[in-house]
Amino acid sequence: MVDQAHKPEETAVPNNLQQHHKQDEEQQQSVRENAEYEDEELHKLLVPDITQLPLTPPSSVESNFASYFAPDFMKPGNDQYVYRHPNGLCVVGLASTHSAFKDKGGVSAVDFNVGKSDRSGMKVTGKRKKASSFGNAQHFESNTALCKVCTNDDSYIIRCCVKGSLLEVNERLIKQPDLLNSSADREGYIAIIMPKPADWLKVKSSLLSLEDFKKSREAGSILPSHNSS
Amino acid sequence: MSNEVESAQVSDATEVTLLSSSAEIESHAGSCDEEMTLQLLKDAVQSLPHHVVKDLLSVGVCSRCVLRILGSEDRIYCHPLLPQSILRSILEEVAGFKSEGNFQLCSVCLGILQLSYCDDKETMVKMESPNDMASTIAELVKTEGHQIDGFSLEVSVPQLILENESSLLSGMKKINESELWFQERMLSKCVSVKDVLKFAITKPLETLLDVKSTSAGCFRIRLTYTHKRASDNSVERNQGFKRRRISTGNGLHNVYDKAVITSKVCSDYSTNETISVTGRSSNILQDQETFEHLRIPIDKVSEPCHLVYLCYRTHIYLCGRYLKYSRNVSQTRWIIDEERMGEASVEEIIGSNILPMCRGDNYKFHAAGREDIDVRMLGSGRPFLLEIQNSCQIPSEETIKEIESKINGLENKLVGVKKLKVVSSQGWTLMREGEAEKQKQYCALVWISRPLEDEDVQSISLLNDMQILQKTPIRVLHRRSPLERQKIIHWMKIERISGSPQYFLLHLCTQAGTYIKEFVHGDLGRTQPSIGSILGCRAEIMQLDVTDVKMDSF
Repeated sequence: MVDQAHKPEETAVPNNLQQHHKQDEEQQQSVRENAEYEDEELHKLLVPDITQLPLTPPSSVESNFASYFAPDFMKPGNDQYVYRHPNGLCVVGLASTHSAFKDKGGVSAVDFNVGKSDRSGMKVTGKRKKASSFGNAQHFESNTALCKVCTNDDSYIIRCCVKGSLLEVNERLIKQPDLLNSSADREGYIAIIMPKPADWLKVKSSLLSLEDFKKSREAGSILPSHNSS
Repeated sequence: MSNEVESAQVSDATEVTLLSSSAEIESHAGSCDEEMTLQLLKDAVQSLPHHVVKDLLSVGVCSRCVLRILGSEDRIYCHPLLPQSILRSILEEVAGFKSEGNFQLCSVCLGILQLSYCDDKETMVKMESPNDMASTIAELVKTEGHQIDGFSLEVSVPQLILENESSLLSGMKKINESELWFQERMLSKCVSVKDVLKFAITKPLETLLDVKSTSAGCFRIRLTYTHKRASDNSVERNQGFKRRRISTGNGLHNVYDKAVITSKVCSDYSTNETISVTGRSSNILQDQETFEHLRIPIDKVSEPCHLVYLCYRTHIYLCGRYLKYSRNVSQTRWIIDEERMGEASVEEIIGSNILPMCRGDNYKFHAAGREDIDVRMLGSGRPFLLEIQNSCQIPSEETIKEIESKINGLENKLVGVKKLKVVSSQGWTLMREGEAEKQKQYCALVWISRPLEDEDVQSISLLNDMQILQKTPIRVLHRRSPLERQKIIHWMKIERISGSPQYFLLHLCTQAGTYIKEFVHGDLGRTQPSIGSILGCRAEIMQLDVTDVKMDSF
């Protein structure tokens, strides 16, 4: 009984082998075709429909942050921006309307050695331990000075605008103060601050939205000090 | 010598041991005909010292315990078809002992080897033969619909049994130490209650389930015996057991939980009695030094052990690669303040389609890295491992194909799968190793603030293995430590898009862990160089797709 069952299998082996060879070739062929097909399909997915693309897309700052402004912060003409990321972090810097840019030659130097310590000297290390406070980050008030921005004729104190932990200052500005003149809203940012959620809500109410800020600056007469400086 | 035996027994405690199919059982395989069995059994009993058998029977030790304690070499008393009553009568006949009528639970094994226990409805169950017990288990396996290719049997018994046993043994030692048979017998190790039980039911179970028992199979049948009169020790030991099982990792939490719960229940209402039990046994030890006759190690047992049957499969793994065609689907279930982010998740789509095919309890999804919700995973797909817990069925190749085409044919086309297959737990190691291989290929849709020149295409293609420095991106700086990380861009290629001078596709291959979005737009100059800084203009990333995750093992 057992022997009989085995015989047909044995005779079938050579045929099977031949079939296997054929199948292998066919398979390889189909693998190649399949790969080409897959590449084509992938490419179709990757190429965008250009009619759907805006001529000028929003910048990463525009799309990733909400913009707020602190006009005349502590002093007329000291317009600062606060870009807030959905994760709660705030990037602060000089708004394009800041008086410093109206001086001849624009910004010529940035000095982080203000207040009790050099703001660029301290490095924040370690992971966040408690909600909204980094290992050794310094906690600053909204009127704490971050740096001094100098022009040929004058100097301006730039402040936090937001109460919170100072995570980072833009050290590139020390060697390349010109970044402020060319792109104050991007590479020319001053610092990154992490406020506590409750503190942020308080600060937010004192800040202007981009739209309101634009309106206030267009109607410049409301703030006569701006023109006089 | 007998002391050593005892200590070995005690250290074995309530620990769950696995039984591999033993060759010894084979010799008594079902074919053994009834008369032969009875004859063998009679011979075995005859060879024992009759007065000791009588002594043991008189203190309420059950037939199987008598035979195992006296080290009956032939394990004929484990024969699956041997009825309880016949075993008893043979023993009584040989020893010339007459029991006082009613059935009595064994004072050592608490009825376990008499195949008596209390079920979850608190009714007393008394099985006639090991075969009956095996049938009950086989029934359960079939009712629960497990598809199995082997099983391992786990038995856990109360600590109390070992205490009973050791006090009985030391009592016997005191009385019989000088006798020759004792020295001979006690040299051979006394077989433990759970080994006898496993021994008795493994063979018929193999026959009934038509599979072999294996030592470390994924399908487990667990018999957990607990007794109200458990001791303090067992609580500690159970905790130790729990810890050990969890530390060995990737197992089944609900199974531990069940086991832990049962042990908890028994320990809870036993603590009051604990002290009295341990106190009593030590008294007995002292008593035995002064008395000539063997004493009952503990009071007569009025209640049998509580038995819980549990069938489970530790887990099975399926591996494969997934594709994500949507920019609104997260990799894992992502819910913030009860609000779902994205319309679905890869984890749920794949898991919910595979789980019912394996009829498991739950699934866990593990992937080799991840992409942002707004990034598609195309091309090769990303390797993943799906752990199915307590799966009743191991999917066949056909089922796997069926699952694949089911997921790939879903109407919404959010997610796809490739190369799906069942793997051993080694798949886990492979994926962890593969994660270290660290090369990822992407395609980004980039816009620059001026028209793209031919020189740009050229200069970009010439940059090979370029090092970049990335400060922790602002978008993750709230949770990742502020560091500057060095990454390598292996190569880049610009593909023009006809009809749009400022948009192009950037194909790039980078070291794993590179933040691509930041590499394109520069993250306020915090990633250097960036596409923007290289081309000397503003660069923005509109879309990103992962096109290849290199990992040979998947």
